[in-house]
Amino acid sequence: MSSMLSNRFVILFAQRLLLVAVFAIAWWYAAGRLPSFVLPGPEKVFAALNNLWHSATFVHDLGATMGRVFSGFALAALVGTPLGLALGSSRMLAQFFEPILAVFNTVSSAIWAIFAIIWFGISDATTVFVVFMTSMPLILTNVWQGAQTVERQYIDLARSFRMSRGQILLKIYLPTILPYFFSGARLAFGFGWRVSLVAETLGASDGIGYRLRQAADLVQSDQVFAWTILLVTLMLLLEAGVLKPLERRLFRWKTSNQ
Amino acid sequence: MTAQATFTFNASTPALSLQGISKHFGELEVLRDISVQVGQGEILALLGTSGCGKSTLLNILSGLLEADQGTLQLEGLEAAQFEGWRRVAYMFQEDRLLPWRSVRNNVAFGLEGSGLSKSERLARADAALKLVELDTFAKAWPHQLSGGMRNRVALARSLVVEPSVLLMDEPFSKLDPQTRTQMHHELLRLQALKGMTIVFVTHDVEEAVVLADRVVVLEPRPGRIRDIVSIDLNRPRVPTAADVSEQVRQLRLKV
Repeated sequence: MSSMLSNRFVILFAQRLLLVAVFAIAWWYAAGRLPSFVLPGPEKVFAALNNLWHSATFVHDLGATMGRVFSGFALAALVGTPLGLALGSSRMLAQFFEPILAVFNTVSSAIWAIFAIIWFGISDATTVFVVFMTSMPLILTNVWQGAQTVERQYIDLARSFRMSRGQILLKIYLPTILPYFFSGARLAFGFGWRVSLVAETLGASDGIGYRLRQAADLVQSDQVFAWTILLVTLMLLLEAGVLKPLERRLFRWKTSNQ
Repeated sequence: MTAQATFTFNASTPALSLQGISKHFGELEVLRDISVQVGQGEILALLGTSGCGKSTLLNILSGLLEADQGTLQLEGLEAAQFEGWRRVAYMFQEDRLLPWRSVRNNVAFGLEGSGLSKSERLARADAALKLVELDTFAKAWPHQLSGGMRNRVALARSLVVEPSVLLMDEPFSKLDPQTRTQMHHELLRLQALKGMTIVFVTHDVEEAVVLADRVVVLEPRPGRIRDIVSIDLNRPRVPTAADVSEQVRQLRLKV
């Protein structure tokens, strides 16, 4: 079984390598025929990447953006989860507030960013606010959905063992909504991360979004490409290194383990 | 032997005492004037067709529902001030195993309202699993078990609280006949070992005769007691034996 598994892994790895090669050749070929400010070639971008990596502000910018994204996301989880639980456990509340959620979900992140600049100016709060407004409704909606699937039977079971409301919340509600929370949080984090850059291009004086706009203003396309490669790599690492293993660990009860 | 052990209840305080229990759901009268006493270590069957309120009665006994009228006493104490509520276990019609918990943690769930330490809870869960002979499956997930095994895990979860009273709502009705017979033996073996009082609901006359010391025959709409029948047969009771099948035939006439 393990040899079959490693075999499959090798094939997959070769496929990925081929994809990267095809992409690199296409890039290199196209870059040779276009002006450098439209499409810089690979060697220029990797030189920029190298400069970026060793630049004095790199760690600071990355840290600033990450800090804003995580703050906005954590706030969204802190507010969205209890609200979702409340709506999920009361049909009346849900009916009353449902339209607000629909409104939240249709307002564009750019509009939140503009409001944020009016209210908070050029500050951390602007980006945090935009991340929050984008990700909170996603978490809320998912937790709400999860809370509606809580089985009455399990609640009665807990009550038959004389468990308190708090214990029922902790031992029945939470495990039931966890998969919903997780998929909501993942979505929210992805969206939050992307809109944070938009917010930073408008309302920050450091961070990745700010650097991107700076590069755009100076027509440093190689810088923009370098940042893009960096961010994509970072997100892929986060996905494969943290989210996937965490998900497998949390929901191992769903699949049979031989 | 089991029969003898369970008939000592007359001398002591009844485990459960119901006096004039009535219950309405809105306009609908579900239970009318139910009075019965259950002795310590007795096995009592509540027998009736659907709609006779037997599950409602069990819910009242478990404290999940409150009666409109009448009194419920547990071991001689008013139910409202009964301190030993944690020792009344309820086994439902469905096994209700929590899919996100391992078998062991499902059994330990029964003790999580009790204030015992985690290691103590797990030790007791393991002991209960051993009792139902599933200790080798402690780490399995519920979805990996057969219906009969899940049923035994649910039984272990009820037993882990060392119940003085075990309430059961058609706990074996979803099993195939063979597994059901196995579970009957299992239950009687554990009852002889632990001596708990058992009140179970069933619509299966044969199950009532095989398991119970006494059978309360309920009549539907509104639920009330039609008859209480003592089953004075030696154990083990085999459904095909002449005395058992005769008792089943007689009881069937009353339902």
